[in-house]
Amino acid sequence: MSQHSFIESTLQAFTGAFSKALQSEHTANQPGLLQLLDPRVRVIGMLALVVSVIICRRLDVIAALLLTTVLIAVASRVSLVSLATRVWFVILGFTGLIALPALFLIPGTPVFVLPALRLSVSAQGLRTASLLVLRVETAATLTTLLVLCTPWTHILKALRSLRLPAEVVTMLAMTHRYVFLLIETANQMFESRQSRAVGKLPGSEQRKVTARTAGVLLSKSIELSHEVYLAMLSRGFHGEVYLLNDFRMRLRDYLGLTAFICVGGLAAWMGR
Amino acid sequence: MHIPDGYLSPSTCATLYAFAATGWYSALKRIKRMLATRAIPLISVLAAFSFVVMMFNVPLPGGTTGHAVGVTVAAIVLGPWGSILAISIALAIQALFFGDGGITTLGANCFNMAVVGSFVACGVYRLAAARSGIRSRRRVLAAAIAGYVSINAAAFVTALEFGIQPTLFHDGSGTPLYAPYPLHVAVPAMMLGHLTLAGLAEAVISAGMVSYLQRADLGLLGEAGNLATGSAPIPAMVNNGRSLRRLWWAVALLLVCTPIGILAAGTAWGEWSSADLMNAKTRAQIEAASGNHAPPVSVPTGLQKLSTVWTAPFPGYAPRFIKSPAFGYSLSAMFGAGLLVVVSLTARVIGRRPNARNPRP
Amino acid sequence: MTTAYDVADISFAYDGIPAIRGLSLRIERGERVALLGANGSGKSTLLRVLDALCFPPTGSVTFQGNPLTQECFHRDGFSLDFRRQVALVFQNPDVQLFNPTVFDEVAYGPLQLQWEKEELVRRVEATLASMAISHLRDRPPYRLSGGEKKRVALASVLVLDPEVLLLDEPTATLDPKSQSQVIDLIQQWKGTSKTVVTATHQLDIVEDIADRVVVLEAGTVIATGTPSEILSNADLLLRANLIHAHRHSHGPIVHSHPHFHGHSHHEH
Repeated sequence: MSQHSFIESTLQAFTGAFSKALQSEHTANQPGLLQLLDPRVRVIGMLALVVSVIICRRLDVIAALLLTTVLIAVASRVSLVSLATRVWFVILGFTGLIALPALFLIPGTPVFVLPALRLSVSAQGLRTASLLVLRVETAATLTTLLVLCTPWTHILKALRSLRLPAEVVTMLAMTHRYVFLLIETANQMFESRQSRAVGKLPGSEQRKVTARTAGVLLSKSIELSHEVYLAMLSRGFHGEVYLLNDFRMRLRDYLGLTAFICVGGLAAWMGR
Repeated sequence: MHIPDGYLSPSTCATLYAFAATGWYSALKRIKRMLATRAIPLISVLAAFSFVVMMFNVPLPGGTTGHAVGVTVAAIVLGPWGSILAISIALAIQALFFGDGGITTLGANCFNMAVVGSFVACGVYRLAAARSGIRSRRRVLAAAIAGYVSINAAAFVTALEFGIQPTLFHDGSGTPLYAPYPLHVAVPAMMLGHLTLAGLAEAVISAGMVSYLQRADLGLLGEAGNLATGSAPIPAMVNNGRSLRRLWWAVALLLVCTPIGILAAGTAWGEWSSADLMNAKTRAQIEAASGNHAPPVSVPTGLQKLSTVWTAPFPGYAPRFIKSPAFGYSLSAMFGAGLLVVVSLTARVIGRRPNARNPRP
Repeated sequence: MTTAYDVADISFAYDGIPAIRGLSLRIERGERVALLGANGSGKSTLLRVLDALCFPPTGSVTFQGNPLTQECFHRDGFSLDFRRQVALVFQNPDVQLFNPTVFDEVAYGPLQLQWEKEELVRRVEATLASMAISHLRDRPPYRLSGGEKKRVALASVLVLDPEVLLLDEPTATLDPKSQSQVIDLIQQWKGTSKTVVTATHQLDIVEDIADRVVVLEAGTVIATGTPSEILSNADLLLRANLIHAHRHSHGPIVHSHPHFHGHSHHEH
């Protein structure tokens, strides 16, 4: 990553955050399988599947879980293309690269030899690399699905009804809400800096720009927190946190929950 | 440094979640006591801030860029406990909302970056800044060093977590089940990237921000630091308990490292049981380790009698129901440390004088 | 009790910088008052004092006969009553919209006052409908336009049916349509028992939103009167930095006259 585009790539990260949020909102409104279930069931169910993926030691069972996940994705009207670009290719590149040396480094029974490099790939190395990549892919697909199909506020409320302390849930909610405001502020600062740039800045200047933006952002953040505190007080906040719980379990939710637990349990048992 | 799901075994994840949860619980209590109602908006907005800073591409010397975590700034401004909460929340949002970093590994990530990172950053900053003036250049340097060291400390702990995976969790044929690289590969591999890039990025951001705050907003840095005007001083700047915190951190680090003990083969000199003294093979080992003096032919009667008095709950550091000796080892270490903690906390509570200082917000 | 507020000789400073000095003011129940002043004149600070978010170290503030001091607010009963009766709409809506969705935001006040759930939901829905924002109920704040945010902010305080409304620059940064919506709302309260105190520097809306104008300058009151009295006093407005003077020349003659940008009233 070259330096003259450091602002550029930061700005891209900001835009990426917003577009992810928008995509989430769009998918969460589709009439799909996951969307039909109570958010608590979704959260517990998907997390149960993630846990069973991690517990599993058999490649075939993990692969079956991945297939199940893809089927859930299709049933929930999530575009496989977006999953591929957002999750699968990214992980293949990142974890794939990390797993690659394992093919050669892990000692064991050689499976085949690369004649040109005279490196032998061991069966154990192959298995360990596959396990790693497959696990990471499946777990990431599950969490991405959960996030795409569930509005953030529902995830929070689900966590609350799973006994997460009210203050923590409030902090998570408030942080999320203000992330976007701060991104916008930082965005504006960087954009105005970029438009004033004439030619390439020396490294130390670039670092100053970054640090200064971060500094201004911090000051604004603290000031914002003071004001928000006053706004909270003004509406009656006196230390306790009260949240509205309006989830009700229906038959399909119980069925869904049972399905998740069964699949997860079966996978964990078979893959032990 | 964000660990995705799948790199750490379930037991590692669970253990690290437990460590992180201890950190969260303590931090929550302290912050509520220090800041009362102001904590919620303050921690939230600072978590949002650190989240956004994590997105910055920081230009580094040499023409590259890196990413900072912002834990050093959070630790300087909020103190270690506030920083633990703020960074953990930012990490949770990254994982839950943006899919960056795993869910099962959230505990690990929070422990590495939020807990270890915060304490190291705080400790190093205070050590390096010592009694220098609030506007001095030394503070800027202290922030840079604190940033660099804290990120690398976090990276080191992460590397340890990776590195013990193949030793502890592999199947019969020797295939590692999770992160595949042993310590001697994982540690250098992880440290390389952080000693060069991430550590520098953190140092740049931390130093830059302290420098900016020195000119623009002293209140955030001050020893009497009042973040919300008129309220109690920030936890960071209250010095009592500092050495205790360091002790906690050291204990935690040691706990993580205990499985290394498995690598030492055999039995420690002098720690033989009566069974060892009767077995021909171990007798030969004992003789070799004792400068070729043969052990006594029969087991001394004293040893025989006393060895039946007490049977430890975890003989050989491995509870009977745990199959893997290595995991049993770590579990025992945790249990032992946990027991010590409980005992010492109890002693502290008993010994505490009534009407302890409790500043009203 | 016909007096809403009795403010006597208060002063307040932020970090040593004075914002209010020696300010006295009296507001009756049902009055619609405009606090007119340029930025930095102390309007926002005064509103916060009236909402018991700041407590001046000197002077006294009473609300319906009760003194407003920090100690009083440690008593839960008094505190919650006050918070329901008095509402402040902040200048920056982002500060006021700190909940994940619009519905959550409007429900926040009632939740803090621990209303019963069914009643709460009913009142929130009714308020959303009355502000024509029902379609926004599940939106997060960062996806709202300026005008929408303002309406949500207003809804979030109106749901509590407060007796006193403190509005900090309610029309600033709004597009003309949204501005007129807000002004209409304030006009609706004329003649009711609601006390409305609006801080603004926009002269063109003063006549619509207030029966009495209080002019602030450098943290103290420099004049009070009816809107027409105040608005026709060019020297006063100039002194308070609410209008500027143009200088222009006709040949060798140079004259300056006060000038403000406002909308013209049409006679019907």
